[in-house]
Amino acid sequence: MKRSDFPHLGFGVGLRRPHYKLIVETHPKVDWFEVISENFMVEGGHALEVLEAVREHYPIAMHGVSMSLGSTDPLNRSYLRRLRDLARRFEPAWISDHLCWTGVGGRNLHDLIPLPYTEEAIRHVAARIRRVNETLERPILIENVSSYMAFADSTMTEWEFISAIAEEADCGILLDINNIFVSAFNHRFDANDYIDAVQVERVVQFHLAGHSDHGTYLLDTHDHPIRDEVWALYERAARRFGEVATLVEWDDNIPEFAVLADAAERARGIFNTVTIEHDSRSRDGRSPEATGKHPLSADHRS
Amino acid sequence: MAVRLKQLESILYRLITAVSGVAEGLAAESRMPAGGLDAIVRGDDRLSAEDRVDIYANMYFYRLLDVLKEDFPATLRILGDDNFHNLATGYLLEYPPTEPSVLYCGRRLADFIRDHPPRNDAPYLADLAALERAVVEVFHGPDAPVLEPDRLRAIAPKKWPALKLRTHPAVQILRLEWRVAELLRAVEERREWKPADAGVVEVIVWRQGARVFYRELEKVEERAIAGACNGVTFAKICDLVAADHDPARDPVAELNRLLARWLGDGILTNASRLSGGRARRSRNIRRARPDDLWNARGYKS
Repeated sequence: MKRSDFPHLGFGVGLRRPHYKLIVETHPKVDWFEVISENFMVEGGHALEVLEAVREHYPIAMHGVSMSLGSTDPLNRSYLRRLRDLARRFEPAWISDHLCWTGVGGRNLHDLIPLPYTEEAIRHVAARIRRVNETLERPILIENVSSYMAFADSTMTEWEFISAIAEEADCGILLDINNIFVSAFNHRFDANDYIDAVQVERVVQFHLAGHSDHGTYLLDTHDHPIRDEVWALYERAARRFGEVATLVEWDDNIPEFAVLADAAERARGIFNTVTIEHDSRSRDGRSPEATGKHPLSADHRS
Repeated sequence: MAVRLKQLESILYRLITAVSGVAEGLAAESRMPAGGLDAIVRGDDRLSAEDRVDIYANMYFYRLLDVLKEDFPATLRILGDDNFHNLATGYLLEYPPTEPSVLYCGRRLADFIRDHPPRNDAPYLADLAALERAVVEVFHGPDAPVLEPDRLRAIAPKKWPALKLRTHPAVQILRLEWRVAELLRAVEERREWKPADAGVVEVIVWRQGARVFYRELEKVEERAIAGACNGVTFAKICDLVAADHDPARDPVAELNRLLARWLGDGILTNASRLSGGRARRSRNIRRARPDDLWNARGYKS
């Protein structure tokens, strides 16, 4: 699996209930939408009507919160079949979920609990992702989570862990820039090291979001504007990874749609700037690592 | 010695869901490795290992509390924040989430309230919660074309007696012992509410587009609607209305009035689906069963 196996969607925002009406009625200028898969794994009703209407005008990606890839419970086959059926109906550009576990013993915590970074966990999770890829008929993307605890048994860094799993499972990576920032603070590592280490060809999507500061730790709440430090980290990522679909998430205290669209445009501006820098450096004979080819206009739409 | 992944997840699950917090969970934990929690989770000068697990414990409870508050606004209003908090605590202990979506988090709350009546003067609370849950489920219930009046009128009158009428598959009918529909409406419309009166009623819950509606069924339509849930013939519906109508009223006028109301509310499915086939289930009268809900309906994630 490599990034070029997937379309480049440009700069999008998460599809959330307060914006349904505006999006369906006015088709605002944004490249694509990411939907929370579980919100649409229902038999019928308004949510699916909205998604039909949105899909007519925009590409989408499906982002899940309940695959529980790291759980030691058996994979939930019923859940995966429903997800596959939803994907067959709405044809997302890709399906993603988190590198974590969400429950065990048949119980669900409805939270993204981190894993110990061990060889045992790599083997366990990679084998499960391969089975998921078969069921969903495509390679999924796995996302790094924000974490508030680290494990005594971990034998490697988080970026080594996610890279090893992506390699062994042959899946893509959804790199959440805010989550890197949050976890870097919570566990005292350098976020730049993370950005600089992940394999370029595995990263298919970025997430950008806000978080809240609790003094002794940062919490990934998706209820604030994206902080300047996260934007700076995004710029570093854009420079290194090049043309990667970027998505702005906002899940609580959701503002007007224009605020999210503006954030997506800011990301586009950053990407275009570093791409131009890259092109001019290339003409000087230098060979930067970034793979961006051309600035994306605001009218880009798959 | 390394803690195996399965053991680690099991311990963390118990600590995160411990009803009075991680400290209590630690005191009760019998499978902790030598070295205690510090042998599993790294603490530092900012946050101890226990503090760090506590972050997840708080998120677990308050996320689910928020889901329950959103799904049961009237139950919350009647109980108040503190009592609802206590209700959620007990409920999640007895019915911890088992499904991949929080859509199903509140599916047994009415049962829990019925089994553990609150210590206040709200004996109707379980019925109220059942109605609120039905609203959530109907919102995400199955799709089917609604029977439009013009479509029905286009069918030749001589075919009507054999025509099968069927309720929309998202429709639910609740048999309740308290008249809670008006109470829920008052809360939804932010009006003053009055305690529900006792009285066995059937309440129909249906949707039109993005809105869910509910009302008490009239006695004259209870058996007719029950028949429509099974997909009985129009002739049978006529018989049921004729048998149950108020003798002071004209049965034909009653039937016309009810049919117009059902069509106007959009609770019947399209005529093209009425000509054959079996009903989805014997009757849409609902008492939540945990094993069928993932295959049925849901709400938010």
